[in-house]
Amino acid sequence: MLLQLKNISKWVHSGGQKVFLLKDINFWVNEGDFISIMGPSGSGKSTLLNIIGMLDDFNEGEYTFLEEKVHSLKEKHRANLYKQYIGFVFQAYHLIDELTVKENLEMPLLYKKHSASERKSLVADMLDRFNIVGKKDLFPSQLSGGQQQLVGVARALIASPKLILADEPTGNLNSKQGEEIMEIFTQLNKDGVTIIQVTHSEKNMAYGSRVINLLDGKIE
Amino acid sequence: MIKNYIKIAWRNALRQKQFTILNILGLSIGIGTCFIIGLYIHSEMTYDTFHDKADRIYRVNQPNIWDDWNEIASNTGPNVAIALREDAPEFEEITRLLRTGTQIVRSNHNEEASLYSEEHYFAVEENFFDVFSFKFLQGDSNTALSEPMSMVMTQKTAERYFGTENPIGKTVEVKDYDNSWKTYTVKGVLADVPYKSHIQFDMLVSLKSYSEMMQRNGWKWIWTAFSTYGLVKEGTDIAAFTKKIQAIPPKWAPPTTERIFNQTFKEFTAGHDWTLYLQPLREIYLSEAPAIHSFGPTGNPMFVKVFGAIGILVLILSSINFMNLSTARSSKRAKEIGVRKVLGSKRKALIKQFVIESTLFVLIGTVFALIFVQLSLGIFSTVADVKIELIPYLGNPIFLAIVLLFVLGLGLISGSYPAFYLSMFQPIETLKGKMSTKFKGKGIRNGLVVFQFTISIALVICTLFVQKQLAYTSSLDLGFEKDNILQIHNIEQIGFDTETLKTKLESNPAFSKVGKSFGLPPNIWSGDRYKTLGGNDQVVQLRNVRTEEDYLDVLGVEFVAGRNFDSSRPTDKYKVILNEKAVKTLGWGNPETYATNSPIGKIVALASGSEDEFEVMGVVKDFNINSVQQEIAPLIIIHHQNDKVWDYGAGLSYYSMKLNPEVVKNPGELQTLIDEVKNDIAQIDPSVPFEYSFMDQDFENTFVSEQRMGVILSIFTVMALLIACLGLFGLAAFTAEQRIKELSIRKVLGAKVSELAFLFSSEFTKLVLISIILASPIAYFLVDEWLKDFAYRTPIDSWVFIVAAISAFVVTLVTVSFQTIKAASTNPVHNLRAE
Repeated sequence: MLLQLKNISKWVHSGGQKVFLLKDINFWVNEGDFISIMGPSGSGKSTLLNIIGMLDDFNEGEYTFLEEKVHSLKEKHRANLYKQYIGFVFQAYHLIDELTVKENLEMPLLYKKHSASERKSLVADMLDRFNIVGKKDLFPSQLSGGQQQLVGVARALIASPKLILADEPTGNLNSKQGEEIMEIFTQLNKDGVTIIQVTHSEKNMAYGSRVINLLDGKIE
Repeated sequence: MIKNYIKIAWRNALRQKQFTILNILGLSIGIGTCFIIGLYIHSEMTYDTFHDKADRIYRVNQPNIWDDWNEIASNTGPNVAIALREDAPEFEEITRLLRTGTQIVRSNHNEEASLYSEEHYFAVEENFFDVFSFKFLQGDSNTALSEPMSMVMTQKTAERYFGTENPIGKTVEVKDYDNSWKTYTVKGVLADVPYKSHIQFDMLVSLKSYSEMMQRNGWKWIWTAFSTYGLVKEGTDIAAFTKKIQAIPPKWAPPTTERIFNQTFKEFTAGHDWTLYLQPLREIYLSEAPAIHSFGPTGNPMFVKVFGAIGILVLILSSINFMNLSTARSSKRAKEIGVRKVLGSKRKALIKQFVIESTLFVLIGTVFALIFVQLSLGIFSTVADVKIELIPYLGNPIFLAIVLLFVLGLGLISGSYPAFYLSMFQPIETLKGKMSTKFKGKGIRNGLVVFQFTISIALVICTLFVQKQLAYTSSLDLGFEKDNILQIHNIEQIGFDTETLKTKLESNPAFSKVGKSFGLPPNIWSGDRYKTLGGNDQVVQLRNVRTEEDYLDVLGVEFVAGRNFDSSRPTDKYKVILNEKAVKTLGWGNPETYATNSPIGKIVALASGSEDEFEVMGVVKDFNINSVQQEIAPLIIIHHQNDKVWDYGAGLSYYSMKLNPEVVKNPGELQTLIDEVKNDIAQIDPSVPFEYSFMDQDFENTFVSEQRMGVILSIFTVMALLIACLGLFGLAAFTAEQRIKELSIRKVLGAKVSELAFLFSSEFTKLVLISIILASPIAYFLVDEWLKDFAYRTPIDSWVFIVAAISAFVVTLVTVSFQTIKAASTNPVHNLRAE
């Protein structure tokens, strides 16, 4: 088992009342799963993904990631944990505008203190694998949306994470570009990477092996 | 990783050009100003340090025995050194320097005789160069001044007399007090005196040349024309040593006071201590005391303090700018920060990144600042009348280390707040583009702006008051008419009988009045001890000046009682005229009491030596004989032909002429007139150097240092204001960016451009209003403190504060108006469509 959520709840106070963003969420993820989180706007999909990604806190419940109790970890350990095992893919790509493709790919490796030669070879592998060698010196603004997301996925993968978290990865792309990205995810999944995606689209959902439907912060 | 930081900083800087330019400009101005001030202070604080033994050299000071015993004077009698040689073995060497005053020197060596008036001329002992390390180019420092009638001169002086020829062994002639010429032999040539020396000389002669005069006079402890310097042995406890030498004056001075004044030591000092002070050589230039009889250049410790404070303030202002601009543009960097955090950057790493970035900015700013300093140093040196240079420092490793430390330190300080602020961002929020963080930190930013403007406005108010005080002092009623008075110097060189010259001058229609005096306001410093006869016998200090009757007419001073000297009454020459202050000091009341108890006819007597008695024949209204910074001193005016006074016939004398404006109408005519006078003197005695001055300029010169301070303060105030405005401009730009959507919505809903402009600028005018309220009391306090140094003070009027406030508002509105109008007049559709 890769991770397990037990009775996770998250709420905010609004007008003196507790408003639940997530309520009593229970589920687990095994290594090699490809899970799609579905639900209407405001149902808590992204919040759930952020909690799994350890970017957000929760108010109640237990979260175990690779036998580590995330809820009782200090911030620093938590950061080390996700730095090592989790890669993020965003709807808006979130590449750093001032860095070239190559430099964007290199960024996670810098934070993991890889040596220069290691970084070089890993970046070269990734550029090769995603067929973007020719684009390595371009800035994000010089790429199409699909290409940018390709770089986004490559960046998420470069540090060989166990888990990829993707928040509407095709939301800003046209259908052809979207399909390409989903194909890549399927291939990655076959290679053993666990994937959790948040999506609106039935079509994308179909790529996954399991679906979690959220409504008003609860699993249906 | 650092490479990555630098890269991204560089690309960000290029992308946000406006921000980058504002930031670097602000930093450069701030750092540059700070460097200029730093160089200035360093220069001021390192005077006289070039001597090898500078740390062990002390000047012996003592009370001003001729006037106010509470004042410290830098001059002593010749025998202070003699006594110290006897009783103070802690001194390795003691050397004396005699201030001879300006000397007339000529050389007949050239075909054409060259004649100069040598102002920087002293007589020194042969061991002078054992104490001081002035560099010899030719000659032997050990023997150059061991013989009487020997002389050394600086290179540029030697060139003046001898051109390219070797001066060693050649002779020059110096005019003696009796108008005979004495021959001196040049025994050495010295490198020109470094400007950072409080002793500035062109010529030095051996003190032995004066030994006959020193023997004859026997004024061992009271001929205070000497400066005494001592070189203490290494490891001397100066405090204990100073204590020890206090026994010297009571032991050695009594024979002098008894012989000359017929007074015991106690009577002479009137209960004061004849303290000997040891003043470290390196402190002489910049110390406030002794204020009087200090020769050579003197620094102003208040300048150093004031400008040091301004330097630090300007630096703070510019680093605040940096912080403000960096945090204000945070929304631009938010995404990057979010991504970095998600990719595993710890907060520490982000803080490091932004500190490195700010250090980089500071480094670039420093490079520009150094260029800016180099370019403006010339102007600053002229305005501040100091000699400071940057280039010699650039090769100095200590200077470079300080600059490096400065860059790192300032980078850390100005980077710290943005670093902590920016690294605080929560990644989810920034990545979702929520940017609720956008309005956080606004309070702190506003606080910093208020701080900047408080300092700037306070500086503006202070500057205005400095200017106001300067205007006030130059317009003060001196008690006489100082304008249109031409003064010719060196009259004493003609000899005592100057009637021929006077007749010539009087016949010139350009002069309405001509009068001779042995001193000129504002430089009447000589004084003596006087007492009333038959009264309480209390001894008081009075300034004295010898004049002829016409001189008082030239000044146009007003008589309160009695009358002026009258040349037709021969007995007048033994009578004196007092000013009101002197009458009061002597205990004879004030003008209201003159009717019942007139000072006219009363007797005042010299309280030392001769005890000459003088009858008071007139009282003049008080007038300024010194600068207007000082209270008017009590003054006794003695007839120039009074041959009973001990200094009859001695001293420098001058002719002063009141110009007739009907005849002298323009500068050209004035120049012609001056040439005529020059000619008149040359006809009488060609060996008299022609020098002249105007009295109003001499008075102007008494507050030249305040004027200089006014100018420098104005420059730095403008700098501070400029930096604050740059910051405000940047901040307004970013606020406009943040509020553009709000402003667009308002516009769509029907707001007029003017309404939007008002709404937008009110955010900033509010801050300036707060700054004015804070700055006013601070400025009031500072101005009040500064004015305490002046005897006559300009009132601290409220209108000055109002002017400063209005100017601050105008400057603010002008600064933000560009952004205001831009923000208010854009087409709202462009800004709303993006959503």
